[in-house]
Amino acid sequence: MRTFRAFLLLALVGGGTTLRAQDISTRLAGRVSPEVAALVQRLATSAAARGLPVDPLIQKAIEGGAKGVPADRIAAAVRALAGQLDVAAAALTRAGPTHPDTDAIAAGAFALNAGLNDTNVTTLARVSGPRHTEAATLRVAGTLAAMGVPAAQTVELVTQVIEAGGESADVLALPGQVSEGVSHGRGVTPAQAAAGLARAAAARANAPGQQKPKPPHP
Amino acid sequence: MTDFHPQVKQLLDGELTLADLPAALRPEGVEALRLLAAVDREPVALPSTLDARVLAAVRARAARPSLWRRFLAPREIRVRLRPWTLVPALAAAAALVLFLSSPARTPTASTVTVRFVLFAPDAQQVSLAGTFNQWDPAATPLVRTGSPGVWSATLILPAGQHQYAFVVDGARWVADPGAPAVDDGFGRRNSVLSL
Repeated sequence: MRTFRAFLLLALVGGGTTLRAQDISTRLAGRVSPEVAALVQRLATSAAARGLPVDPLIQKAIEGGAKGVPADRIAAAVRALAGQLDVAAAALTRAGPTHPDTDAIAAGAFALNAGLNDTNVTTLARVSGPRHTEAATLRVAGTLAAMGVPAAQTVELVTQVIEAGGESADVLALPGQVSEGVSHGRGVTPAQAAAGLARAAAARANAPGQQKPKPPHP
Repeated sequence: MTDFHPQVKQLLDGELTLADLPAALRPEGVEALRLLAAVDREPVALPSTLDARVLAAVRARAARPSLWRRFLAPREIRVRLRPWTLVPALAAAAALVLFLSSPARTPTASTVTVRFVLFAPDAQQVSLAGTFNQWDPAATPLVRTGSPGVWSATLILPAGQHQYAFVVDGARWVADPGAPAVDDGFGRRNSVLSL
């Protein structure tokens, strides 16, 4: 019976690995050259072994193929993304005791691509604490950076909102609020709109009776 | 549907005879009996072997219970509680309660309706390609709106982050001018949508 269970476990694990490899090649078939598909296969296998998300790599290759990008440039872009995923994973690992989940790592890589650095990612992951998902916080921060809010100001704004007791919905609303501030104010830049929101959040945090949540990872 | 007098109903039930009815109700009673007679009341003759066949089928099922029936069959279970076995069970229950009561780390799956709009007065066709449709330029065409040069498409997308671009005339990839954008790694820009 014990032998049968071991065999079953091996069959499941082996089957899963085979399925994943087949899945990647199926998704890439006809979309990229065989050379790029083989590269993505290797990078994805290696990434999965390190606990990194695989889907962004496949998506990047598919995107390059759809845009008619030459194979060597697709390969370079997929390699660069794999590097960003590694940097994001390391930054998130520095933030807390648990291994980051793949969603958070993908969001961290996006934030890096949008203009944040690894220290920013670590800071935002620490600020997230148990009340906010790291992935959502990093996606919002990346979106703010993509809107043109400087990295330091992005971190400041998200931190102020969370430390003022803001809920997940408050954090998710930030890009829309910055956009609104830019479109309503005359000549207001994203940085200025973000600064205004950060000041308002700080004022709320310092208001009498406002309990300031302690950061989970000092 | 005919609603007979209560006494006529008693007649139909066999509680009264036609003679028991008052004279005024007898025509109604006759009519009711006529209607009843119109119904086929011929007795059903059951085959003499029916009982034996039914019992044989019941015995056959009882002799070969299916796996499912055996699983569902009531049985006596004796539970003997030993105090030390309760400790891991209570710990598991406490862990389950803590797990269920802890704040959610993963957002719940939900969808959002999004309208994409592009002003492209010279375009012959416009489509949308992104992470949500495997970057397939043929998957999501935009349609002309009532306003000249304005193209739009409305999609239901899962919450989360999406990157996309408009594809004009099947060849020109254009970032959404109304959305933030990031480097796509190929020298162009991808628009970003966070839901």
